[in-house]
Amino acid sequence: MQPATVYSRDRCITGIHGMDEILRGGIPYGSTVLCSGTCGSGKTTFGMEFLVRGALSGEACAHFTATEPSVKLLENIRQYAFFDMNMIDTGLINVFDMDVLYSWLGLEKSTFDLADVHALIKSIVDIVNTIGVTRLVIDSVTTLCYKIKSEQLIRDFLFTLGKKLATLGCTTILISEITSATENAHWSSFGVEEAIADGIIVMGDVERMGHLLRFLQVVKMRGTGHSRAKHAIELTPLGVMLTPMLKWGAMSDKQSRWGS
Amino acid sequence: MFELDQRIAEQLTEVSLNSAVQVRCGNSNAFMVTASTLIPLMQMFEMGGVYICATRGAVEIIDGFEAIGVDVSEIHFIDLVSSGILGGTDITHPNVTFVDSPIMLESVLLRTLYTLRIAQSERNFVLIDSVNALAIYNEERMLAEYLHTFINTFRQREVLSIILNVPDQVPPMVLANLDLYCTDLIDRGQVVIH
Repeated sequence: MQPATVYSRDRCITGIHGMDEILRGGIPYGSTVLCSGTCGSGKTTFGMEFLVRGALSGEACAHFTATEPSVKLLENIRQYAFFDMNMIDTGLINVFDMDVLYSWLGLEKSTFDLADVHALIKSIVDIVNTIGVTRLVIDSVTTLCYKIKSEQLIRDFLFTLGKKLATLGCTTILISEITSATENAHWSSFGVEEAIADGIIVMGDVERMGHLLRFLQVVKMRGTGHSRAKHAIELTPLGVMLTPMLKWGAMSDKQSRWGS
Repeated sequence: MFELDQRIAEQLTEVSLNSAVQVRCGNSNAFMVTASTLIPLMQMFEMGGVYICATRGAVEIIDGFEAIGVDVSEIHFIDLVSSGILGGTDITHPNVTFVDSPIMLESVLLRTLYTLRIAQSERNFVLIDSVNALAIYNEERMLAEYLHTFINTFRQREVLSIILNVPDQVPPMVLANLDLYCTDLIDRGQVVIH
């Protein structure tokens, strides 16, 4: 009897220690992945390492920063041994300040309407297309979406952006800020991002006897099997490192039932 | 004059890199047993490694070895104690890093893996000093699970695991599990019969 042929989508190998194992080989190419996390959970480092690992294998990468100026971002990321400023100088990693982009587009206003959203999508897609970007990070989509007042418009923005980037073969990480990563929390600020995304990676903290332990959990990833377990993470000079979280220690103190 | 237990070195010649050795000691001979284990690994077998300090701070251990004329500058120390003491982390040893608390067990594992990734030596050990100190902070089931994960992680990577404990003070479930996971036993524990 012949073994059944199993179709497997090509993968974007993240190169992040442990991550490709969790994803059974990497993120399916062209996916839009929402990386949601609380403050200090390691989202920006995760996103930047995703780009650096791509640049190391010769891929063109882009980072759109809306939460901090690019200069500050690069200063913070230089402490990591995996990062090399040459990647910026040689154009393998391209960092764009959203404020500068808004200024180019004449979008220096507090609220975006439909036309503004389409102009923004077009400019991002044009940059991706022109440079031939295959890995993109938007940090954060929350800050960007604050300017879009209607839920429907946010949904349209993310859906259209994701669709166009996928067509260009670009794997995208949308970083999202959330205030809580517990069981009852939303995985996005506006509640619509999680429905649009092909994948959801949640990052947060487990409180254990007064100490915060960072965790990462892949909640959803279309096109691949994956672990859904909580993984403890450590931000080392070599990048993000992951290990499965201890089963008896995976719950925050408030939810745990130790000794019962 | 400090005397090493030479029989420990002899016993260590029998273990391989993917072994997990449970080293039992008593309250009064803990440093002698630790030194008798660590010194042959460094000097006879020319191994590098990671020393996980949960019982005492790294500086105190380094000073202890220096006092008997042993250079441990090639060993990396992960100190789980000193962050809990004001000023405890204000030291100049380049081979010491700190984890906030012995409760951060996964961080200890990841920090150890990171240290081994940057290590110069091809043959390495990881030493936990001690299970008793970890048991102060960690619930019995979690500690048993951790030791299970820890030993298997390093066995798979061909890194020798050395697990120190004072057996009559280790929670029974943890000790029973250690007996199951470890491939070798060096027993210098002084069993107290109540």
